[in-house]
Amino acid sequence: MRFLLLILLLLGFVPVLSATVLVPAEFREIVSGSQIIVHGRVSDVRAEWIDGRRRIESVITLEASSFYRGTSAGTVTFRVPGGQIGRYKSVTVGAPEFKAGDEVVLFLKARGPSVPQVFGLNQGVFRVQVDQRTGRRTVSQPIVMARGITPQPVLRGAPDRQPLPLDQFATQIRSVLQGGAR
Amino acid sequence: MKRLLTLLATLACVAITTEPASAYLKLGTRVGSGTVNLRWEDFPVRYFITNTAGGGVSATQLRQAVDRAFANWTAVETASISAEFAGFTQARPNDDDGLTVIGFVNLPDQDRTLGATSFLVDTVSGEIVEAEIYLNSFFSWSVASAGEANRFDVESIALHEIGHLFGLGHSALGETELRSGGRRVLAAEAVMFPVAFSAGSTAGRTLRADDIAGISEIYPSSVYRRERGSISGRITKSSQGVLGAHVVAFNLRTGKLVGGFSLNEDGSFVIAGLEPGAHALRVEPLDDGDVESFFDLTLNIDVNFRAKFHDRVVVVPRGGGTGDVQIRVQPK
Repeated sequence: MRFLLLILLLLGFVPVLSATVLVPAEFREIVSGSQIIVHGRVSDVRAEWIDGRRRIESVITLEASSFYRGTSAGTVTFRVPGGQIGRYKSVTVGAPEFKAGDEVVLFLKARGPSVPQVFGLNQGVFRVQVDQRTGRRTVSQPIVMARGITPQPVLRGAPDRQPLPLDQFATQIRSVLQGGAR
Repeated sequence: MKRLLTLLATLACVAITTEPASAYLKLGTRVGSGTVNLRWEDFPVRYFITNTAGGGVSATQLRQAVDRAFANWTAVETASISAEFAGFTQARPNDDDGLTVIGFVNLPDQDRTLGATSFLVDTVSGEIVEAEIYLNSFFSWSVASAGEANRFDVESIALHEIGHLFGLGHSALGETELRSGGRRVLAAEAVMFPVAFSAGSTAGRTLRADDIAGISEIYPSSVYRRERGSISGRITKSSQGVLGAHVVAFNLRTGKLVGGFSLNEDGSFVIAGLEPGAHALRVEPLDDGDVESFFDLTLNIDVNFRAKFHDRVVVVPRGGGTGDVQIRVQPK
């Protein structure tokens, strides 16, 4: 295996992924597995004890600007593991942290009356960044497999993996929701 | 490949200094305007096992697999760490109760997370109050020596999570591919690579050079200080520092890989815990996954550059450092 990785490294084929120990999702799985897909800005972060003061979670409020799927209320509330109460801070490795003002596109799992949570711990968080040069708002390009082809390595440093403008990302989400490829 | 290595070797230009080594991707958490490093001060780390079966594995079997995983880490001769089984408990691993607990929890909502490590930190003293590891019993698990089809290997996942428990962050030394049904790991040169091998695999039971370098950098033994060395330098793009570049050192004699990151705005990096000898370096962006899994989200990580090999071989001295490696990368 080391030999394989070494060859890939030397050929320029060495990529990565995300959090703690995850079963990574392809973008279509993230879309189809999320009941709420929303773009907006975090307005409040509140840590609280849950489950009879057994652990700390943070409840995040997002001021929504666009909904791609699910409810169209003005705000969305969701929860993430961890948070700080008083002098104690609970940290879960790989769990996303938010602060007021963060602009994000979120893919949330919402089951029944419970507070939604981020798809795949952190796989459903796409943070919006502003390109300093052009002023365009972008997100990291999601990993999408073209339909009907053989397995393809995910190449790190590939020239075509550029930050994706937000409007194109929205188009991509809608395309997946409608069953399109990209 | 041999030809490429020979080519790299012929480009060798050796610059040896005796600057001390520092830095690796260590866990820390923001507290106010500062960062608290998640590092144990007192040993042995005493851990409990939740007395609950999960995913087809009994609590006793879990304990045995976890013991083996701890033994794997504590056997690293270049690191000074120890751990001790404190007993079975009814406490759950995701309770903030002051105990360090490892166990199964059924979390069907987190159907993409095999396991996770969490800490409760006293932000005033910086002390770790407790650390917890849960394995998600939503999945099927195995402790069979050769693994079992369609079941994830407890020991492999425990080894990764215990790395976090000791304060290690994620490593980027891995390779994935997309195929129908999702993304899977092709190869990983670090237990701390954040994506699991497929169910049935036991490939994650063995610590790699990158893991050993990392744990040794956090808890260095005298052997480590004496026998290991480092490479430091700076990654730049258009004369500006590159933050968050993944820099990989490849030992030309042993074939071992150890990764590091440029962790400052000026693009400076240090790869510590290297065996002495000649190394080739490669720089690449973390543009294929979730940067947040590696870095604090407040950092402005640059992923807009092309991967590049350093055009010189770098020789790491025993017990010292090779400094001032300058690598210029190009925008995409």
